[in-house]
Amino acid sequence: MAMAGLRTIIILSFILAIGFLLVILSSALYKNFLPLLVVATYVLAPIPNWICGRWSTSDDFMDSGSGGGGVVELGRFFTGFLVVMGVALPVVLAHCDLIRIEAMVMSIIGGLLIYGTIISFGLFFHQEEEF
Amino acid sequence: MADLSNHRLFRFPKPQWLNSANTRTAGVYFAGALFSIALFVLIDAATFSKSHLNGSDFHMNGVDWIPAIFSALGMLIINMIDKSRLSADSFSYSGDGVAWKARVVLFLGFAAMAGGLAGSVTVLVLKYVVQEAAWPALWFGVANVVANALVMLSSVVLWVSQNMEDDYTYNLAL
Repeated sequence: MAMAGLRTIIILSFILAIGFLLVILSSALYKNFLPLLVVATYVLAPIPNWICGRWSTSDDFMDSGSGGGGVVELGRFFTGFLVVMGVALPVVLAHCDLIRIEAMVMSIIGGLLIYGTIISFGLFFHQEEEF
Repeated sequence: MADLSNHRLFRFPKPQWLNSANTRTAGVYFAGALFSIALFVLIDAATFSKSHLNGSDFHMNGVDWIPAIFSALGMLIINMIDKSRLSADSFSYSGDGVAWKARVVLFLGFAAMAGGLAGSVTVLVLKYVVQEAAWPALWFGVANVVANALVMLSSVVLWVSQNMEDDYTYNLAL
């Protein structure tokens, strides 16, 4: 179990590094640092879920129709918003010729890798807490 | 569960996956995604209007944003309502016409949303089609309609997901 956990952490950190590499390349190759906004978006994306998950009380199972459930859904709404924003932002920038198409592709792939790493870490630690 | 299915309206039973918690969660995420696409379609039009690619005399200004603001306001109003209040008059303890108030507020929300969609079509026709804008400039008007339609779709998805939640909690309570 510990070995598998260690291997997962190493693989995830490699993927995170590759994601950052792609995003930084997409910015630095063309001397245009607008694609770095993607990193900020993906780092912000899970935060509404965390905040709203903590905000809704632990006994929200009883009144999830009106009380805690609404707050949790607000967090999910904003997380979905931010995830799509991470893809839509480079597309808009490339369509308006503010960045190049190659930079768009690299920043989208890099951003998805970064976000996938964050989500996998969340799942991983969540499973750890259960046991 | 058995007497629930006796009260249903349609011939076919609701598919089971519609009541699962995962579908509800996915619906809420999907609504957020649709709203994000709507906002970025508009932002794309505005950015394109300012960029050097736009050689025409057409530009996005304040008028183009008003329909989207009304649509988003309508979506906010509609989804702030607690859906269980809509049928509250059938309960004995809720006096003071809560359901009536909820219906009025809901009507205002739907009116704002429909007004937003109609307003976007108005902007498209009056500002771009009538003045014979060519394609890159016509995109500003089309993007307006697309964005408002997406906000409406997002609102529908969110509404359906929230109603799903009520069924889900009801099943749990049983």
